[in-house]
Amino acid sequence: MKKIALNGLLVSLALVLAFMERFIPLDLLVPVPGVKLGLANVVTMFALFFLDVPSAIVITVLRCVLASFMFGGMTSLFYSLAGAFLALITMMVLKLGYDRIFSIVGISIGGAAAHNTGQIIMASIMMRNSAVFAYLPFLLLTGMATGIITSIVTMYLFSFYEKTIK
Amino acid sequence: MRLKIKTGDIFVAIAIVVSSVLMLLSFYKENTAEKTAVITQNGVVLRKIRLDLVTEPIDIEYGGDYPGKIVAEKDKIRFYHADCPDQVCVNTGWITRPGQIAVCLPAGVIIKIEGGHSDFDIIVK
Repeated sequence: MKKIALNGLLVSLALVLAFMERFIPLDLLVPVPGVKLGLANVVTMFALFFLDVPSAIVITVLRCVLASFMFGGMTSLFYSLAGAFLALITMMVLKLGYDRIFSIVGISIGGAAAHNTGQIIMASIMMRNSAVFAYLPFLLLTGMATGIITSIVTMYLFSFYEKTIK
Repeated sequence: MRLKIKTGDIFVAIAIVVSSVLMLLSFYKENTAEKTAVITQNGVVLRKIRLDLVTEPIDIEYGGDYPGKIVAEKDKIRFYHADCPDQVCVNTGWITRPGQIAVCLPAGVIIKIEGGHSDFDIIVK
């Protein structure tokens, strides 16, 4: 019961973050579709580290579906699901080397890069045009910058959680 | 707080930067005088325009769930107006060089500039 409540709370937190970052016009700086801060990934990371893999999957899917219904439009659902799943898998793999090989920073930027790659693959499938791959290097480089920012947020959250709530 | 950067982090960062630079280099095209803009919607070519031969602005309208308008001028082309929710396509602005693209994901429309001697089915003078 407590787990369901916590998952619900995290889904709504991810939605609020995804909604809030729509007001940060990052795509004016880098005019490429899909450029965003990716704060919702903080929630995915939290679920991966303090809950379990099924919770992380459920939270990610619900966040993508609800965000698309609420403000993204139906086409964005496929892009965000492709990106989110590839990111989730990548972060699960990188997490195996957590504390020994990777810190939160490496896991976060790896996840961001996977997210961008997933989005572009989905875009090229849906638009039946490989020209969209021209955007991938720009997405990867901005994704690295935003991945570092979200990893700092994640580290603050983790230390706060470990000190106060856990 | 564990703000310790590990070796793997640097490895991931280098991998991302190197692959980005390699992709940028492979997508880079020489600027040619002859430029053809190819407009496709969901894999179907709507129109090809020789941008270097454009003298007066040309409007290209497209339909679908999120219709919009593309404007071509001499040596440049852009999304002028779009009904899509994100407006990223319009914010992209003018594209001018071979290899550049402008994309409207919701509408499924891609403008791509091709250089050199490509075949085209419409010549606009």
